[in-house]
Amino acid sequence: MQIELGHFLALSATIFGIGAIGFLVRRNVLVQLMSIELMLNSVNLTFVAFNRYAPQNHLGQLFAFFVIAVAAAEAAVGLAIVLSFFRLRKTVHSDRADTLKN
Amino acid sequence: MSSLVPLMPLLVVGIGGFILMLVDAFSDEKAELATLSSTILFAAAAISGVLAASKTGIAAPPPGVAPFLATSAMAQFMNATICTGAGMSALLAGGYLREHALERGEFYVLLVLSAFGAMVLSASTDLLSLFIGLETMSLGVYCMVAFRRSSPRAAEGGMKYFLLGSFAAAIFLFGAALLYGATGHTDFDGIGKAIAEGTSSARFVLLGMVLVLIGLAFKVSAVPFHMWTPDAYEGAVTPATTFMSVVVKAAAFAVLIRMLIACFGGEALSNLVTGWPAIISALAAATMVIGNLAAATQANVKRMLAYSSIAHAGYIMVGLATLASQDPEVRATAVSAVMFYLAAYTVSNVLTFGSLIALGTYAKEAVSYEDLAGAGRRHPLIALPFVIGVLSLMGFPPTAGFLGKWYVFSAALAADDSLLWLVILGVLSSVIGAYYYLRVVVYLFMKAPEPGAPIAVPLRSGYVVLALVLSGYFVLKMGITPAHYIDIALAAATKLG
Repeated sequence: MQIELGHFLALSATIFGIGAIGFLVRRNVLVQLMSIELMLNSVNLTFVAFNRYAPQNHLGQLFAFFVIAVAAAEAAVGLAIVLSFFRLRKTVHSDRADTLKN
Repeated sequence: MSSLVPLMPLLVVGIGGFILMLVDAFSDEKAELATLSSTILFAAAAISGVLAASKTGIAAPPPGVAPFLATSAMAQFMNATICTGAGMSALLAGGYLREHALERGEFYVLLVLSAFGAMVLSASTDLLSLFIGLETMSLGVYCMVAFRRSSPRAAEGGMKYFLLGSFAAAIFLFGAALLYGATGHTDFDGIGKAIAEGTSSARFVLLGMVLVLIGLAFKVSAVPFHMWTPDAYEGAVTPATTFMSVVVKAAAFAVLIRMLIACFGGEALSNLVTGWPAIISALAAATMVIGNLAAATQANVKRMLAYSSIAHAGYIMVGLATLASQDPEVRATAVSAVMFYLAAYTVSNVLTFGSLIALGTYAKEAVSYEDLAGAGRRHPLIALPFVIGVLSLMGFPPTAGFLGKWYVFSAALAADDSLLWLVILGVLSSVIGAYYYLRVVVYLFMKAPEPGAPIAVPLRSGYVVLALVLSGYFVLKMGITPAHYIDIALAAATKLG
């Protein structure tokens, strides 16, 4: 079987969907962070796959590198914020983040 | 001839951020970082203001920069707005952080580097520089929201903002990947050209456009993507709230303008019924109505101002919907109206938040309407800027906010009759706005504090006074003699690139 662009796109759309549903359904902040990583990685797969089938420039691969670097920075900031929340509330469940209400 | 001059504002802010970091690390504790950071930002604002107003045109930037960043008059105008807003937030931080025993240098570094990210975002002409600017700005702002480490509310606000912000960034990126796949380009002009030539897959373009717009709608807190806004605004220290409400919004709207025209400005996608104007109009209507209704029910002034900033995003989006017109003159009018609105909104919001800061001292921060009761009669000099600020946000003449609304709504009316319903909705929902803005004035002057309630004591700080005087000056100047600013905006609006 020949692997075509469509297969790559189907795979990355599936991963993106799993990540998005995981982010919306799960209430553990760490799992939500992991879901965001899944979404970002599916974006990378999409970029690289498109680039493979349209190789006149390398913009897709270039973009994927930047996404990887920014995702690392984002994880660092995100974990720091979750840590500061955990220190004060002794939990990482987003349902317990309920002190700010109208 | 290329030169570094058009990049000066970016260079000043970027290098200034690193100098600030070194000064914070190596100097004694008394270093006046608020002075230093606001000087850096105001210097950048002045340079970009001069460039935006220059009659001779702006030199070309070095060749490597041009595909990624615009240095046009429009970009310089937005740089000036962003740096003014950020510089005034730094001044407010100088008063607020010291009073509330939070004075740590990293706040100013985060503020200046976030402003750098905002400038890159607002000037970007490529999906890649857009993404990097967006994240540079957002990562700094997440930290600024969670800055008060001992407060569970700050951690919670920061966490909610971070989670939804990264989720939005991922959605934006997926849209960007689809646009790249459909057109083979990441620069706005290339995407726009490929769409116009019809060489791209229409389904991918449409899906990519919707996802990119959703990602940016989170950043400008358009309804229904606004859930994080009140919590993040309330949890953050007030100077960070000011920064978020003015700088982040101005930068995101600037790039939306450029994107809607350069990428999706073709006839097929800017069709009023089947293209992005339908999405933007629907978002604008929902944002204006829900933002104003929710603001009217708040008991906390900071939350009220958060919903008011959502409502203002709605008014600005009426201006974005006007960009659907194919007539370049109508487009230029609409762009200049939105630019003027963003500048007016920046100074009005700084004035209002600054007055709120000025009314609170250590452990007695003014947050609810009750905290404001009678403060106007006891301290009329601090209530005066507060009144001017809320009147400008409300859109009362002769303030900047009134003219901002006037320009945006009249541009929409001049463009297309089909936007009439949006303008009527905007005017009606600003009437609801009058209720909660005037409530501030009523509490300031006509109520007495409950017996036994803590009485607000004003903050004594030269920084806050300076920020109030500067923003108050611009609110009145742009309201009384707007011709200078609107001329610059109109000239800039014809050169987006």
